Amino acid sequence: MATMVDNLTARQSINLELDDIQSGALHERPSPYVGTYLLLRIDNRAAGRELVRRLLGIVDSARPSTDSARDAWITVAFTYEGLKALGVPQDSLDSFAPEFKQGMAARAAELGDVGESSPAHWEKPLGTPDVHVALAALSPDSTRLEATLARARRALEELAGVTLIWRQDCYQLPTGRTSFGFKDGIGQPAVEGSGIAGSNPNEAPIKAGEFILGYPDETAGLPPMPTPDVLGRNGTYIVFRKLHTRVAAYRRYLQAKAKDREGAALLGAKMVGRWQSGAPLVLSPDRDDPELGADPHRNNDFLYRDDLRGFKCPAGAHARRANPRDALDNDGSVNVGLHRMIRRGTSYGPMLPEGVLEEDGVDRGIIFVFAGAHLKRQFEFVKTQWLNNGIFIGVPIDKDPLAGPNDGSGGFTVPEKPIRRRLRNLPAFVVTRGGEYGFAPGLRALRWLAELET
Amino acid sequence: MPTSLTETTRPGLSVGPTSEFSLFFHVKLGQEEGLREALRALQDTPGYRPGDYGMAVATIHEARFVLFDNDTRLAFVTSFDGPWDAYMEDFFTSGPTLALFDVIFRHVEGYEGLPDLAALKALIYGAQETAAAYARNYGGTVMEIRKQQRVNDAFQQVLDDPKAAEALQHRALKPLLDEAGA
Repeated sequence: MATMVDNLTARQSINLELDDIQSGALHERPSPYVGTYLLLRIDNRAAGRELVRRLLGIVDSARPSTDSARDAWITVAFTYEGLKALGVPQDSLDSFAPEFKQGMAARAAELGDVGESSPAHWEKPLGTPDVHVALAALSPDSTRLEATLARARRALEELAGVTLIWRQDCYQLPTGRTSFGFKDGIGQPAVEGSGIAGSNPNEAPIKAGEFILGYPDETAGLPPMPTPDVLGRNGTYIVFRKLHTRVAAYRRYLQAKAKDREGAALLGAKMVGRWQSGAPLVLSPDRDDPELGADPHRNNDFLYRDDLRGFKCPAGAHARRANPRDALDNDGSVNVGLHRMIRRGTSYGPMLPEGVLEEDGVDRGIIFVFAGAHLKRQFEFVKTQWLNNGIFIGVPIDKDPLAGPNDGSGGFTVPEKPIRRRLRNLPAFVVTRGGEYGFAPGLRALRWLAELET
Repeated sequence: MPTSLTETTRPGLSVGPTSEFSLFFHVKLGQEEGLREALRALQDTPGYRPGDYGMAVATIHEARFVLFDNDTRLAFVTSFDGPWDAYMEDFFTSGPTLALFDVIFRHVEGYEGLPDLAALKALIYGAQETAAAYARNYGGTVMEIRKQQRVNDAFQQVLDDPKAAEALQHRALKPLLDEAGA
């Protein structure tokens, strides 16, 4: 019943211009999926604008379609350098969010991308001024992906002055899970007016302005929007991060800390907040429940109010950090609705075969993709305040045990009776290979960019 | 180590996880007595009553409002766990904090009233001054200190038990026994 009410609210309260918003911003990732990310450099302003004109023909709007060929789609986003390369006027460039203008590489120290994760070690051209345009193609199968990519290739044909500089393919592993072994992408906010129901019936839909520029957000105001209006409206900021996962090290760690396979599975679940099947610890604290994990109506239907001390799901668990739901309601310092993220993550690289405990030298991991109206108080807040330290849960030195920039100094507490379990000296299981901040404009804005005359 | 200033942030100095946060306002002409009265009333609200130890924002160590320069200026000075600028919009959308801001800051210049949050944000950012020096005499966040207090209360209860000395002889309890004498 609650779900019905929420869906109704999500549909009715605001009139989103779905015809003008890019499909990728609001379209859920299919499962299974295949996808390709392409990065382009614009060396010639006119060629860049011609590219945008051609892309207009292959970028879909968020209006739901009954055509199954439309289940594959392309999203286009520009970096700040890319907008400069297109000749966007300076006063307009100046109106973008400060973090976007700086770019992710310049924000690295703030974001915890240090040491091996620092931009000095990033995969080129990520984090360099060469990255101008990002194209993301996602599809339920390779046939439709190929058709979509063929359209993208045609857009690039005979276009001297625009160069393809990077490509990353991604696909869902045969297990349907990430390289760490977990079902992912379960928790997604309901977006008011989008018609897309969220995955948690306990949560009210989030204001559209938290994700799409030009609409009221959770502060009841309008999010800061780039000018002119035609450029900013219906756009969204994008975060793109290639995250290498150290699967063998992770497996060895669990094995070393657990007595047996069951113990390793439980510790792995405590670190994530869910069992590998996706079943949340709050709903199934003692053992995995694959049926629950697979049920989209139940696998995100929970809050933390009955588990404030974390005996079921530790406060430091990855999923609880990334979205604490109601766990911080009594603190008076946090409005969780201001820090929600639409995530469109995918996996890259082959699975490390079951049971293998040594690195095989193959790159594998996660392409983290975020869409939202506020880089700073959504992505950067979650990363810096909730994943990178534990001030908000009363253990400042602890970082996210799975995804945090661990350097051996922090630990992880698993509440247990009679005595909590404390893991110390956590190593890093995720290394940042690079990333970019982008802006995915609405379709009218793409036309405006294509028709610039500067 | 103090956090560096960037284009996007104007944080205060920090010691460990805690940062200082100070705001300086000009009191509206003729509203000095109204402001004093509002502060007297504030002092009598839950969380501000002496001994309450329960302010609405659980990450604030302490807060003080100081009238100075013949009541023409108001300072709000506090220490906060985490970088305060990351949480500004959370405060602006938190009912209790906004209500508090409203009764006090309506007496200062530049306050336009609710619900114009953009104006309120500009007012707060404009009033913030980073300390020239900042030190703390204890480490730990409010959350950690409250936990330490609970643990110490429990420890004192244990010590009050006539069997405590005997119980604390176990090798694993030596660190507690070392703290038990005084």
